[in-house]
Amino acid sequence: MTKMIRLLLMMVTLWAVSIDAAPKPITLLNVSYDPTRELYQEYNDTFEKWWETQSGGQKVSVKLSNGGSSKQSRSVIDGLPADVVTLALAYDIDAIAEKARMLPTNWQSRLPNNSSPYTSTIIFLVRKGNPKGIKDWDDLVREGVAVVTPNPKTSGSARWNYMAAWGFELRRTKGDESKAKEFLRRLYKNVPVLDTGARGATTTFIERGIGDVLINWENEILLGANKLGKDKFEMIVPPASILTEPTVAWVDRTTKRRNTEALAKAYLEHLYSEEGQEIIAKNYYRPRSEAAAKKHASQFPRVELFTLADVAGDWQKAHKTHFSDGGIFDQIQRQNR
Amino acid sequence: MLSMPAVVSGADDIEALKKQIQELDQKVRILERKNELNAESAETKSKDSPRLTAGTSGFSFSSADTNFVLKVRGYVQADGRFYVNDHIPANDTFLMRRVRPIFEGTVFKYYDYRIMLDFASGINSSAANNGFLQDGYLNIHYWPQFQIQVGKFKPPVGLERLQSGANLLFAERGLPTQLVPNRDVGIQLHGELFNGALNYQAGVFNGVQDAGSGDSDVGTDDHKDAAARLFARPFKNTKIGPLQGLGVGVAGTYGNQAGTLPTFRTPGQQAFFSYATGSGNTFTNVVADGEHWRLVPQAYWYWGPFGVFGEYVISSQKIRRDVLTAPTNAVSSGFDTAHNGAWQVAASWFVTGEQNSFSPVTPSHPLNFGGEGWGALELAGRYGELTLDDELFGGGGAPSFATGASARKVRSWGVGVNWYLNKNIKLTLDYDQTKFRGGSKRPGAVTAQDERVIISRAQFSF
Repeated sequence: MTKMIRLLLMMVTLWAVSIDAAPKPITLLNVSYDPTRELYQEYNDTFEKWWETQSGGQKVSVKLSNGGSSKQSRSVIDGLPADVVTLALAYDIDAIAEKARMLPTNWQSRLPNNSSPYTSTIIFLVRKGNPKGIKDWDDLVREGVAVVTPNPKTSGSARWNYMAAWGFELRRTKGDESKAKEFLRRLYKNVPVLDTGARGATTTFIERGIGDVLINWENEILLGANKLGKDKFEMIVPPASILTEPTVAWVDRTTKRRNTEALAKAYLEHLYSEEGQEIIAKNYYRPRSEAAAKKHASQFPRVELFTLADVAGDWQKAHKTHFSDGGIFDQIQRQNR
Repeated sequence: MLSMPAVVSGADDIEALKKQIQELDQKVRILERKNELNAESAETKSKDSPRLTAGTSGFSFSSADTNFVLKVRGYVQADGRFYVNDHIPANDTFLMRRVRPIFEGTVFKYYDYRIMLDFASGINSSAANNGFLQDGYLNIHYWPQFQIQVGKFKPPVGLERLQSGANLLFAERGLPTQLVPNRDVGIQLHGELFNGALNYQAGVFNGVQDAGSGDSDVGTDDHKDAAARLFARPFKNTKIGPLQGLGVGVAGTYGNQAGTLPTFRTPGQQAFFSYATGSGNTFTNVVADGEHWRLVPQAYWYWGPFGVFGEYVISSQKIRRDVLTAPTNAVSSGFDTAHNGAWQVAASWFVTGEQNSFSPVTPSHPLNFGGEGWGALELAGRYGELTLDDELFGGGGAPSFATGASARKVRSWGVGVNWYLNKNIKLTLDYDQTKFRGGSKRPGAVTAQDERVIISRAQFSF
């Protein structure tokens, strides 16, 4: 009997030492919009190390999915198991909260700055020498200027571009919506190709050599210009543009099911840390932290910023008026055919 | 000076041509990009479209997100059974052992279903176990660790019984399977824990007799059976290669049953034991009447091309013996508890080197006429015993609960070869020899001599 017990103990010990003693690796899926690839690749590496230290050795692997913001939102609603969403505009996360009830509708109040850990704005990229002499938004509606911007039906970035142009004309005409609508009609008449996302639009302009001007995120243009060389492109900053506020949230339904709630929350909260804000600034997003903003002030051009609320209310209203089926964007596209 | 206008005109023309070329260049680039985007859009649409696939695992229809899936599978087994040197007429036969279409899949991502019918008529069939519906169940797998299965399926008891009929080592299962349930109607909680290192099932079923199947919808009495199984593969997630394929477990059932008792069969599927039954003016009839429990320790070990599995079954059933005596027509009843036991060890080796497994094995080199592949060749051997409770046979003044022709114990050994031509086609040739203790020695009786049976099988599965 004693021999049997000894044998049993030996077998249990053998089993115990043979299995990996480290905590089980855990995965986290961040479903994001197009231009955040570089930002989150760097941030994920940093966060994985930070979490391992904080959790006493638990390994985490953060997966990243990129695509047009609205498209990504639909994918999450359709079942893409996102632990966190980091999308271009709050409306796309609202859709997940309202249509699929995967997180509470007050999700924006759960993190600082309305769950927007970084901002950006919308500016222009033109070919070297600025052959079409583009300086401001009204230059984009001139005849013979080819404008590259993605489709606002599928891209959150494109909605910001659209709202920036709308805001420009609305402010210039002291709130005349019909003139703003006509301004946008003329602008989209100059758009030869509508990509589905911001990264696609960058490809169209930079790699395919199409168009005279690319409207895009400031961070995307700074990244593209620096990567591809300043001898080929020039950044043009209009005197005024919109303050873009990409938003982030953890998806309660997924995190509860996968038991990743604490990890997801920490992942997003760490974006507000000095380390997170530094990575944000390095990737040309405007940080919320004053220290990081001061440190990287020189890389961001001066521009007068107006908000979405100044020119269109909130995203719910903007969507209904401009981007819903039959909205202003559909109307101007029909007129341009 | 006279030539100046011409020069200016030429320079203008060149500028105009340059502009035209630039415009054309832009148009070409735009068309190319639009084509590119159309192609991307078409690819995205095709990703969003339902998928139809056909291959060695059958046919599958699924939604783009795979939340809805229908798989059409099935298998057909054409057997030949030939008994050597027996004196029993009409038992050498060809038969369709199993003809089973399978429809299975998923709806709304978390709800799996399976329907398996059987159009065959194996000679061991009965009204109970040859049900048209073999499997019909819903499995909810919201959490892989805690799944709920409802319907008709195999209760979690016998190791070899739980192996698919298309994946058996021998054409017929061994003796322990005679003492465990086949299929039953009920509900079970089950799941895998620790990355598959621990597998558990626990459920409540109508309850069936040994080797029996429940009808698809109703039980035969109000009592229900509880069945549970715990199976561990403790080294599955370790780096100890030789032990990764080791699994040990224990299963059991507990319940109360009433009614007809089973007949037990040899690996050659001939009846060697029956409880006494009778009718008419005088009869002796034995039925189940009370507590029924089973205990089934089991294990397997697969390492490279080698594999071995074994199980031991104890089945204890309270039984009642009714005797009707003429001319008073008085029925007298006596009770007993039958403790029947069986065990088996079976081993196999893939001569062609495939990784042996409890699950289906795919040949490394499918048979290729004129090519190099010969499929997979597996050699198998097994030994098993089934022992009936001595008290069933009376003696010393005690009454017998068994028919006079029934054997008290059988010992069986077998050897076999399986040739997997490819993933879908398998040929089997087995030889089983079974020795009887007790039973009728009358010429023509199954137990009069050792059973020597050659069983061949051609199986097509997809």
